[in-house]
Amino acid sequence: MILHILNRSPSSSLVYREALAGMGPEDRLLLVEDGVQGALPSQVRHFEGIGGRLFALREDLVAHGLEGHCDASVQVVDVDGFVALTEEADKTVSWF
Amino acid sequence: MQTATVPAGDVLVILRHPPHGSSWLREGLDAALVAAAFGQAVSLLFQGDGVLALLQGQGPGPLGQKGTSATLDMLAMYDIESLFLDASSLTRLGISIDSLQLPASPLEPPSIAALIGGHRLVLTF
Amino acid sequence: MRYALLVQGAPYSSQASHSAVRFAAALLSRGHHLECVFFYHDGVYNASRLAAPPQDEPHLVDAWVKLNEEHGTQLQVCIAAALRRGLLDEREASRHGKSGHSVEPPFELTGLGQLVDLGLGVDRLVTFAP
Repeated sequence: MILHILNRSPSSSLVYREALAGMGPEDRLLLVEDGVQGALPSQVRHFEGIGGRLFALREDLVAHGLEGHCDASVQVVDVDGFVALTEEADKTVSWF
Repeated sequence: MQTATVPAGDVLVILRHPPHGSSWLREGLDAALVAAAFGQAVSLLFQGDGVLALLQGQGPGPLGQKGTSATLDMLAMYDIESLFLDASSLTRLGISIDSLQLPASPLEPPSIAALIGGHRLVLTF
Repeated sequence: MRYALLVQGAPYSSQASHSAVRFAAALLSRGHHLECVFFYHDGVYNASRLAAPPQDEPHLVDAWVKLNEEHGTQLQVCIAAALRRGLLDEREASRHGKSGHSVEPPFELTGLGQLVDLGLGVDRLVTFAP
């Protein structure tokens, strides 16, 4: 399993498509920084192919005022959980 | 979708930016050359606007800013011959593979994931 | 586990450095070892000893230095990316005839080969980019 890390919003950058193209069937995607906008119910459809493997960083959601707007399908982790995700992954790939 | 056979290796450098507008492409290629010079098996994946790095007929930028096409010509000297591009990126830009200066193999998503999975270190630029 | 971070964003221009410092603290508190932070691309600006942020903002350069002092984390800066952006240690400043230097220990100017060695040598390399 590879952890992919995305810091761009799907509403402003197409890099999410490249991240998705690079994901294997077990890989996970963590939304951080501006990427957490992808967790909005209006945006989360861009990630529908990876149901159950989509995560968002709580600290960045909170900073953006988006914690209460997060789609129920997104698993929210704090930075400790971010580290745990990197522990479980064989390696990480950052998309920006 | 077809799944092409992709090589495993030590370092995969993913290049997502076109020449000139930023230093991402140049600094990404530098990382690839250094890794190869250190004896690692290096592959390159051109993705997104990064496929434009492969286009024929590039010139210098403003003030004679060096481009990257001369660096691409050096790849073979460094034994970097494992070159790939994201087929959908090329299609999106409407560019034919015949317009490219180097032969990079087009890949579809399952093969892109396999390429990433098959390298120990993946650096994105 | 042995970790290394690759920072490619300039401090105060993007969130990359803040995110990296936050991640560093979290991995250390989970008992991991942070072997090195490597600065490349605009990330080399993190090594500027002249950074003077307002007092009510986190001082990122100090945060990196603290990681070195408290956890022995190496702070390596790509020399090629640094020199062309005006980030020179004393030795490079004198070699290039400059009257002052902008990088000092514990930051060290080093080659890009170190990044490759690190990436292949540690258990996890995590990239923070702008």
